[in-house]
Amino acid sequence: MATAAHVDEATRLALFRSQLEIRLVEKRAYDLFLQNLIKGTSHLSLGQEAVAAGFAVAMQSDDYTFCTYRGHAHTLARGAPMVGVMGELMGRKCGLMGGKGGSMHLTSVAHGAMGSYAIVGAHLPVAAGAAWSAQVRGTSQVAVCFFGDGATNIGAFHEALNFSVVWKLPVVFVCENNHYMEYTPIRSVTAVEHPAADRASAYGLEHIVIDGNDADVVYRTAVEALGKARSGGGPSLIEAMTYRYSGHSRADPGKYRPAGELEEWMKRDPIALYRARLLELGTPEKALRDIEGALQRAVDEATEAAKACPPSPVDVIDRDVWADGGSSWRN
Amino acid sequence: MDVVMPQLGETVKEGTVTVWHKKVGERVEANEPLFEVNTDKVETEVPAPVTGVLTDILVAEGATVDVGTRLAVIQEDGKPRGAAPAPEAVRAPAAPPPSDSSRAARRPAAPARGGEDGPPLSPVVRKLLAEHGLDPSAITGTGAGGRITRDDVLAYVEQRKSGAPAQGAAGERVPFSKIRKRTAEQMALSWRTIPHVLQAVEVDFAAVDRARTAQAEAWKAKEGWALTYLPFVAFAACRALPEFPAVNASLDGDALVLHRRVNLGVAVDLGGEGLIVPVVKAAADKSLPDLARAIHAVSEKARTGRLAPDDVTEATYTISNSGSFGTLLTAPIINPPQVAILSTDAVTRKPVADGERIVVHPVGVLAQSFDHRAFDGAYSAAFLRKLKQILETRDWASDLR
Amino acid sequence: MAELTYRDAVAAGIAQEMDRDPRVVFLGEDIAAAGGVFKATVGLLERFGPKRVRDTPISEQAIIGAAMGAAMTGLRPIAEIMFSDFLAVCWDMIANEIAKARYMSAGQMTLPLVIRTANGSGARFGAQHSQSVENWAMAVPGLKVVAPSTPADVKGLLAAAIRDPDPVVFFEHKGLYATKGEVPEGEHVDRLGTAKVLRQGSDVTVLALAAMVPRALQAAERLQSEDGISATVVDVRSLVPLDTKTILAETVKTGRLYTVEENPRLCGWGAEIASIVAEECFYDLDGPVVRITTPHVPLPAADALEDATVPSVDRIVETIRRTAG
Repeated sequence: MATAAHVDEATRLALFRSQLEIRLVEKRAYDLFLQNLIKGTSHLSLGQEAVAAGFAVAMQSDDYTFCTYRGHAHTLARGAPMVGVMGELMGRKCGLMGGKGGSMHLTSVAHGAMGSYAIVGAHLPVAAGAAWSAQVRGTSQVAVCFFGDGATNIGAFHEALNFSVVWKLPVVFVCENNHYMEYTPIRSVTAVEHPAADRASAYGLEHIVIDGNDADVVYRTAVEALGKARSGGGPSLIEAMTYRYSGHSRADPGKYRPAGELEEWMKRDPIALYRARLLELGTPEKALRDIEGALQRAVDEATEAAKACPPSPVDVIDRDVWADGGSSWRN
Repeated sequence: MDVVMPQLGETVKEGTVTVWHKKVGERVEANEPLFEVNTDKVETEVPAPVTGVLTDILVAEGATVDVGTRLAVIQEDGKPRGAAPAPEAVRAPAAPPPSDSSRAARRPAAPARGGEDGPPLSPVVRKLLAEHGLDPSAITGTGAGGRITRDDVLAYVEQRKSGAPAQGAAGERVPFSKIRKRTAEQMALSWRTIPHVLQAVEVDFAAVDRARTAQAEAWKAKEGWALTYLPFVAFAACRALPEFPAVNASLDGDALVLHRRVNLGVAVDLGGEGLIVPVVKAAADKSLPDLARAIHAVSEKARTGRLAPDDVTEATYTISNSGSFGTLLTAPIINPPQVAILSTDAVTRKPVADGERIVVHPVGVLAQSFDHRAFDGAYSAAFLRKLKQILETRDWASDLR
Repeated sequence: MAELTYRDAVAAGIAQEMDRDPRVVFLGEDIAAAGGVFKATVGLLERFGPKRVRDTPISEQAIIGAAMGAAMTGLRPIAEIMFSDFLAVCWDMIANEIAKARYMSAGQMTLPLVIRTANGSGARFGAQHSQSVENWAMAVPGLKVVAPSTPADVKGLLAAAIRDPDPVVFFEHKGLYATKGEVPEGEHVDRLGTAKVLRQGSDVTVLALAAMVPRALQAAERLQSEDGISATVVDVRSLVPLDTKTILAETVKTGRLYTVEENPRLCGWGAEIASIVAEECFYDLDGPVVRITTPHVPLPAADALEDATVPSVDRIVETIRRTAG
C-alpha cells in the first residue's frame, strides 16, 4: 500500500470535509426523525463516511455513482446539495426528487449520482450498463457501484460481476462490509469469510480487502481501480471493512450486536482518526475548526431552509411516468 | 316553501306526477292549480300552497315517488330565500390525476321501465326507449328468447316516422291503456286466488216496477235522470246483508272480517277502456232515494274521470250492473278482499205463472259469485232467496216517498 | 411494397433504426453470431459490428439491468429476452427498476429502451416457453406494451418503439415468425397507441391481439357466411398506450363487444377493456361484453392439447354465434 505522503493536502482536506459533511447531515437526519419531520424509513451511514468520501474525491465529475438505499452519504459526497437531500427526506418540494423518491432513492443525475436502489443487488447490472454505455460511446467515464455485504449473496451480484468481466467494462464494484446483513451477522449466512473479496477469483478478479475506515486507504484504492477501468483494464471488486453506528434502519436499535462491539469500532471512528492524522501531518487546528464551523453552519442553514420549504404539491402525482412529463396510458 | 307529494288516500303510499301546470321561474298564486297526480287510476289536481315564484321542480312529469317526497320549491313572496336544493353531491378528490378521471357514461334521463316478464332490456334498448318515449310492450323482440334488440327499437322508430303501424308477425299490436292494464292485473289476480262459485236466482220485478213507473216522470223531472232497477237491487241487498254478515266480509288469511257498514261498490263500465268500481259508503244507512242519488253521483264522477282516491276504496260488497247489455246471466269476478259480487242482468218481460194463470211480468236474473273459502252454497243461496223475497214483496212505494 | 416474413421484419426494423441512429445498440442471448434462436436477428452483427450487437451470457437480470444503465446514460438499447416467460426471471429489473426510475427521480432520468421478446403458444415447448404474458407488462405503470400481428406492423411498431423515449416491451409472437406479409419499402415507422380496424361489420365488434388476429378474421368470415353475423375486427396492437378512442367508437357502432385473448383468463388485457367499456359506454351496449380467452391454466405441451386450450377459430365462431342474439 502507498504511504500517506502520496495524498496531497488539498485532497486530504477534501476528504476531511466530505466525511464531516456526511457525518453532520446524517446526525441531523437522526434528530429530524426524533422530531417526526422525517417519515418512513431511513438508512444512515454514520461510521461509514470514509468509503463514500474516499471514492467521491477520487472520481471525475462525469463518472457515475450507483448506491443502495443507504445512499445519503454517496449522494452528498458527489456534490448534491444538503438542502435537496434533507428536503427529500422530509417530503418537501425542494427535495432532490420533489418528494417522489424518498430516502431510499436519492438521485442527482447532474452530479453523476445515478440513483440509490432499494432492491438488494439490482443496481449492480445497471452500473455495468452505464459502464457499457461509456465503452460504446468511447468516453473515459467509469461507473462505481456501492453495495453492502448482504448483496453478495443475491443473483444479480453474480450476473453483474461475470457480465462485467466478460465484457471488460469500466466499472468498480465496492462492497461496504459493515458486518451485518440487516439484522444478521454476514458470516452466518455466507459460505466464505470475505463475502465479496473471497468471490473475486470466481470472476478472475483480484482479492482486495481494505480498511474502509481510513479515508486515505480508500482514496488510494479508488484511484488505482478507477485508473484501471479508465484505461480499459476492466472491472475491480473491492471489499472495504467498516461499521455502522446506527441500526440497519430507523426502526432498528441494533440490539443484535454483541456488547462492546460498537464501542470498539467507535474507538476507530474514521473522522476522529482522520482529524488526528491531519493534525499530525501539519494541518493547523484552527483550519480544522474553521472547516467544522463552516460545515455546521451550512448544515444548520440547509436544515432551516428545508424545513421552511412547502410540502410536495399533489399535482406531481401524475407527472413524469413518461418522458413527455405525463402519465397517460390511453387516448 | 317545499311542495311535497300529498297523501291522496288513506292507504295511498305513492303517486305519479302527471302534469306540471307551471314552469320553473313562473309566478304561482296560492290555490292555483300547480300540478296533477295520478294514484291508482284517479287523477287529482293539486293547488299551490302559497303565492310566490316556482324556483325548482325536482320531480319530472311521469315520475312516481313516495308520499312526502319533495316535488318542487316555491319562493314565497316576502320571505328570505332558503338554501337551494342540493344538486347531486360532487366529491372533489384532492387532486384527481387527469388520466384517471372518471369518464363514466352519463345516465340517460328516466330510463324506461323494463319488461317485467321475459328477457331483460339491454342498456342501449332502455336508452333508446327513454329517448323516444316508447313503451317496450309496443315493440316485438327478434333477439334470442324474444328479447328486444337495439335494431328492433330502431326499426320501430323508423316505422313510426313513416306512419306505418307497427306490424307484428300476427297482426296489429295495440298496447293497453293504463286503466286496461290495471283492470287486467286485478282480474287475473282475483281469478287466480279466489275459488269462485256462481249461483243465480230469477226475480220477478213486478212490485219494483209498479213503484218505479209510478214515480218515473216526477223523478226524472226532479233529478234529471231516470230511476232504474239498480237502486232497488242495491237497496234490497243492503236490507239482506245484515242477516248474512259473511257476505259483507273480507277474507284475512284464515279468518273472515265481518264489516259493520255496507260500503257498496257499483261497477261502472268506462266504455271499453275498462272497469272502475266507485263506492257508496254506508249505503245501508241511506233511504232508497238517497241511495239512488248516491249511486248516480259516483257513477257520473266515474264516467267523467272526477273520482277522488277515497271514492274507490274500502268497498265491502259490489254490484255489477249489466242490465243495459241485454244479457241473461253474467258470472262476475270478485274484487278482493271482498268475498262476493252480484250481477244484475237484463230485466225483460216474460211469461210467469201466477197461480194457474200465465201473466207477463218483468223478470231478471240476479247472479252472485262468491268466494267458496268464506262460506258455502247453502248460505249464499239463502242470501239470494232473501234478496229475491225483498225485491218481490217489499212495499216499494213507501220507500220511494 | 416487399413481402417479408414476420421474423425478417424484426431484423429489418432493428436495422433501419440502427442505421439511422448510432446510439441504438442490441444485446441478448445468441442474438449476434447465431442471428437469434428464432432467426429473427440474422445479419445484424455482420452489418453493425460487435460493439453494437453483442451476445450475452444467460443472465437475464444482467441483460435488462445493463440495458437500463445504458439507456440512462445516452444509449438507446434493445435487449432481447428469448422467451417472454423468462421476463419473470428479470421481473425486478423490469417492474421495479426500469418502470419506476423516471418517476422516482422526478424526471431526471429517461430510459429509451426496448425489451423485445418471443411471446405465445404454437411451438409445443410446454408451459414455461409458451405463455402469453403481455398482460403482465400492461399491469405495470411505466411500461409501454406493443404486440404486432403482421410483418408490416412488426417493422413499423418496432421502429416506433426504438424511437420512443420511454421503455417499451415489444411482444413478438413466436407462432407468427414464419408468416408473410406486405411491408412498405423504405423507411417505415408506425405509431404506438393506435389500433387498426381490419374488417368493418355491423353486428358485433371483435378485438384481438397478435396471433389471435388472424383467427378473429377467419372467424368473422365464417360468421358472415354461415350465420349472417357481420363482425368488425380490430387489431388492438398496442396495450399501453391503449387506443381507447377507436375501441369505444367501434363498440358503440355495434353495441356488442368480444375480445379474443391468448393470455390466461384472469386480468387478461381484455378484462381492462371490458371494464372501460362497461363504465364509459354502458348505455350503448346491446348485450354483455364477452371475453374469449385461454382458460386460467398453464399451457399443456402436447400439440392437440395446446391447440384445444388457446382460443381457436371454431371456439371464436361458436361463442359469438351462441351469444350474439
